[in-house]
Amino acid sequence: MIRVESLTKVFRRPRTFPGVLGSLRTLVTRQYEERVAVDDVSFEIPRGEVVGYLGANGAGKSTTVKMLTGILTPTSGLVEVDGRVPWRERTANARAVGVVFGQRSQLWWDLPLIESLRLVGDLYDVPADRFTASLRRMRDLLGLDDFLDTPVRQLSLGQRMRGDLAAAMLYEPPILYLDEPTVGLDVLAKQAVREFIADTNRDGRTTVVLTTHDLADVEALCKRIILIDKGRVLYDGGIDALVTAYAPPRRLVVHLAGAAEDTRTFDLSGDTPVPELIGQIAAEHTIRDLSIEEPGLEDVLKRIYAESAG
Amino acid sequence: MIRPLTGTARIGLRYQFAYRSDVLMAVLALVAQVFLLRMVWTAVYGERQQAQGLTLEALLAYLTLANLQAFAITPIITRIAHFRIRTGMVFFDLSRPTGYLPQLAAFQAGHTLGGLLLMAPAVPVVLLVGSITPTAQPLGYAATLILGYVISMMMSLLICMIGFWTLETGAISLLYRLISQFFAGTMVPLSFFPGALGAFAQALPFQYMGYVPAAVYVGRLTGPDVLQAVLVELAWIAALTALLWLVWRRAHRRVVINGG
Repeated sequence: MIRVESLTKVFRRPRTFPGVLGSLRTLVTRQYEERVAVDDVSFEIPRGEVVGYLGANGAGKSTTVKMLTGILTPTSGLVEVDGRVPWRERTANARAVGVVFGQRSQLWWDLPLIESLRLVGDLYDVPADRFTASLRRMRDLLGLDDFLDTPVRQLSLGQRMRGDLAAAMLYEPPILYLDEPTVGLDVLAKQAVREFIADTNRDGRTTVVLTTHDLADVEALCKRIILIDKGRVLYDGGIDALVTAYAPPRRLVVHLAGAAEDTRTFDLSGDTPVPELIGQIAAEHTIRDLSIEEPGLEDVLKRIYAESAG
Repeated sequence: MIRPLTGTARIGLRYQFAYRSDVLMAVLALVAQVFLLRMVWTAVYGERQQAQGLTLEALLAYLTLANLQAFAITPIITRIAHFRIRTGMVFFDLSRPTGYLPQLAAFQAGHTLGGLLLMAPAVPVVLLVGSITPTAQPLGYAATLILGYVISMMMSLLICMIGFWTLETGAISLLYRLISQFFAGTMVPLSFFPGALGAFAQALPFQYMGYVPAAVYVGRLTGPDVLQAVLVELAWIAALTALLWLVWRRAHRRVVINGG
């Protein structure tokens, strides 16, 4: 369904010089700066899968998504979406793909939400009966009825995001790219977005590529993640396997009794005998409470990003 | 495939109506401008019967029409495209199955239609203030005006394209608006421009957005002159089409290579 092979994107920009004279120099310079945004990335995503595409800020996630939509051409490598090369068959690819950016909206700010949705119906030439059926599904799933006739600028962020999801899926594309769809949303709105994605993917109807920094999204929706860093694939596989492979040690957290708040933590590497450790601590202090923290995906990523940055 | 375009035009029309209070203010400004031009030019003419072959009545009718036309033609897409490029929203426009330029053109057409509907009630007032009588050349007027509108649209599309290189087109749009309105002859008819300035104005396409259709309406241009104007307009449209195609190809490649 989606096949990416040795995908590389190098941005080439005129070198910028500081200052007022510098900006003039920038205009005429023949010196260029090159930045590798995506570096030899390969993966395959079969039909109907929900994949988390993760990485720190600036890792090259959005650039990959732009190449998958055909807006950007790669510097080298191969991309195939549904058997098509996106930038060669841009129009056909456009019909097969829905895109949501958490940070940007495709809705017309000053017009009621329904106007933007009708425009999408026209742009993708959705037949009237299919449009009505699709819109009804969106209204039910996303609870659009309360604000369908409200100008988009008056919508809350959560409502706006629900409107954007509806706009991206109205023409029922088989592929959905979601770029940080839950950024800035409250817990209930996040839940609504996740339920919509899960429902959209039900029966393997829609392939979803999800880019996010909210790992709860990933844990709720994806079985597989692709982790990229500095433009390269760092990990591709199941979440459980990643946590096992990269997991930092479990930690024992002990709250000691006393006037002041006193908390101590101990790393439990492989063979530390926990009862003995607790016994030692109890001999010296009065323990008020204790817990063992299991590492999650967040701890794993924190560790990977930190190692990569350092 | 006409539906994507009519749909986009509908958005342009709705967008115009969303800002209808702005339109009302602008119509008031238009009436005031026509009124002021009338006062100034009446004083300038004084006892004279005519200047440069134009009677005061014909001049006032001309100025009123030229301003009415310029007002109706004023582009919105330069602002829309500028905003959408700067915020990255242009990504969505570029990811549609319909081309970017047709989308912009359709939006502008819908917006212009909305403007005409909104200003329709004010037209009788403006015509009265400008003491305009029906034209003897309705066909020539319609032809030169419609082609002039197409030229204006293509010039606006070119201005929109600049945004792909500079990101900042606010000042350029403003400059374009001042230059185009002046050389369209909305303050002073083109036939009053002296020597070199007159020749310069004649060489530019802006006259077809104001002066030429209005001059046809009041009978300043007749018969073979009208035909010639139509032919020159068609030539401009052909040249601008080629230029637009070239610029768009480069702009698109720029996006494709350098990112939004």
